[in-house]
Amino acid sequence: MEKRKPVLLQIYTILFFIYILLPIIIIFIFAWNSNEGYNFPLSGFTWKWFVQLFNDSIAKKAIINSVLIAFVSATVSTLLGTALAFGIMNSSLKNKGLFLGLLILPVLMPSLTIGIAVLVFFRTLTIPLGIPSVILSHVSISMSYVVLIMLGRIEGFSGSIQEAAVDLGASWFSSIKDIILPALMPAMLAGWVFSFMISWNEFIVTYFLIGNNVTIPVYIFSQLRFGISPKVNVISVIVTGFTIIMVALYILTRASLGRIKNTRVLKS
Amino acid sequence: MSQLLKKNKNLIYPGFLWFLFFFMLPLVIILIYAFIDNFLRPGTPVNFTFENFLIIFQRKHYLLLLGRSIRISLITTFFSIAFAYPIAYFLAKKTKYDKILIVALMIPFWVNYLIRTFAWKLIISENGIVNKILLGLNVTDVPLRILYTEFAVILGLIYTNTPMMILPLYATISRIDNSLLEAALDLGASRTRAFFDIIFRLSLTGIFAGTILVFIPVLGSFAIPAILGGTNSMMIGNIIENQFIEVGNWNFGSAFTLALALISLAMIFIYSKLFGLKSIYKNQGL
Repeated sequence: MEKRKPVLLQIYTILFFIYILLPIIIIFIFAWNSNEGYNFPLSGFTWKWFVQLFNDSIAKKAIINSVLIAFVSATVSTLLGTALAFGIMNSSLKNKGLFLGLLILPVLMPSLTIGIAVLVFFRTLTIPLGIPSVILSHVSISMSYVVLIMLGRIEGFSGSIQEAAVDLGASWFSSIKDIILPALMPAMLAGWVFSFMISWNEFIVTYFLIGNNVTIPVYIFSQLRFGISPKVNVISVIVTGFTIIMVALYILTRASLGRIKNTRVLKS
Repeated sequence: MSQLLKKNKNLIYPGFLWFLFFFMLPLVIILIYAFIDNFLRPGTPVNFTFENFLIIFQRKHYLLLLGRSIRISLITTFFSIAFAYPIAYFLAKKTKYDKILIVALMIPFWVNYLIRTFAWKLIISENGIVNKILLGLNVTDVPLRILYTEFAVILGLIYTNTPMMILPLYATISRIDNSLLEAALDLGASRTRAFFDIIFRLSLTGIFAGTILVFIPVLGSFAIPAILGGTNSMMIGNIIENQFIEVGNWNFGSAFTLALALISLAMIFIYSKLFGLKSIYKNQGL
């Protein structure tokens, strides 16, 4: 097959990446622009929006709440999701396909449906809205993602190792604790980071369930509706910076999965 | 051995009970709400009714809104396939740097979409960059009104959802064996014919997976129409939010929510019958 340089395709790809990155570049520019209006030409460099943001008590509360919710729901959903995925693939369970089909529903359903359903559920049971109710439903969403991430890694290796351990006299509990958990640790870490990001960025479900409280996406949304301060850009810069760190972490843990998986198995 | 498998089965329960209680049960309650005429409260009598669904089809306003939401979702899905396909093809077959480019693609995708939507608001507003350029080039004398229209909503939705289309397409196209294409060319097929008969046909699974990943969230979106759209470009999501947050008619709101859930379930069902459920998540590129 003769090789032709796909020049048009290359130009299109470059244009597409500019298009994808353009909004983020704009946001970064206006986070340091001294004028309050969003106009070109730019009016000078400033840190004042950063200062204003750190004096804004609601914004600070939003950041703390977002970190708290994401941390707790990532931890819970990683534990539940890992146990679920391992249990489904390595047990005497029948109808595994049906189970998996049900479990990926939270990934495929519009988050609006999930948010509304949980809102009505909590109100009907007169459970007050707020951070705990947000965590409850973030867990049920990100648990599905953890199951999906774990599935690919669980098949094949863990079942036979566990069997060997038990044959050699280990109890069921220690076969899980000493063999399976260490072997799955890298994949669990990837699942944790992924869940953290899901929760960190989640807006719709949070918006319906947070009650009078606030998270970063909810804060941004309220700012967008009622007058736009450049403080929003500063939040975006911070969130983007943090996101890039988390994505880098996710990719690093995922990249090292293969190697760690093999060495861990051999060691144990 | 079977003892071991039985014990492993216990690991399912915490997660599955959580899922049943905090995901499935709320959906059941919505289902009940959609078919009754009052709040579910101790001491409040409720009657079974189809009224909540009938209103959707009786009032022109709601039918219009339903039609608009489906239209916006279809247009968005179509253009995200059109924009994503060349990129996915390039990444899968024409470059060695595909892994790095995918990461570059993923980073904006992970930045909160509200922030990115806000940036688009700046770009297309009356004194935004787009209008500055158009005025500067004398294409138009007065700034174009792009913001707060259906067009702006579609622009925002395409922007946010195209990466969701690229990932499954990239995954399926890169799995297509190059030798199939070579064989077709050797046997005398034109480049165009070889492309459509082999690459395009074999990537249909990816197109369908991407369609599910784009169409369903777009149909249920409410933040982007709220930010970029005006009163004439509201979607189902805005009506549902309005019913629950401002109007307080839970029965009618639930009927709309249920309709949304049923449309997405139907799409997932058709897809899983055609290609098997496994390929949806196998193609997500997690």
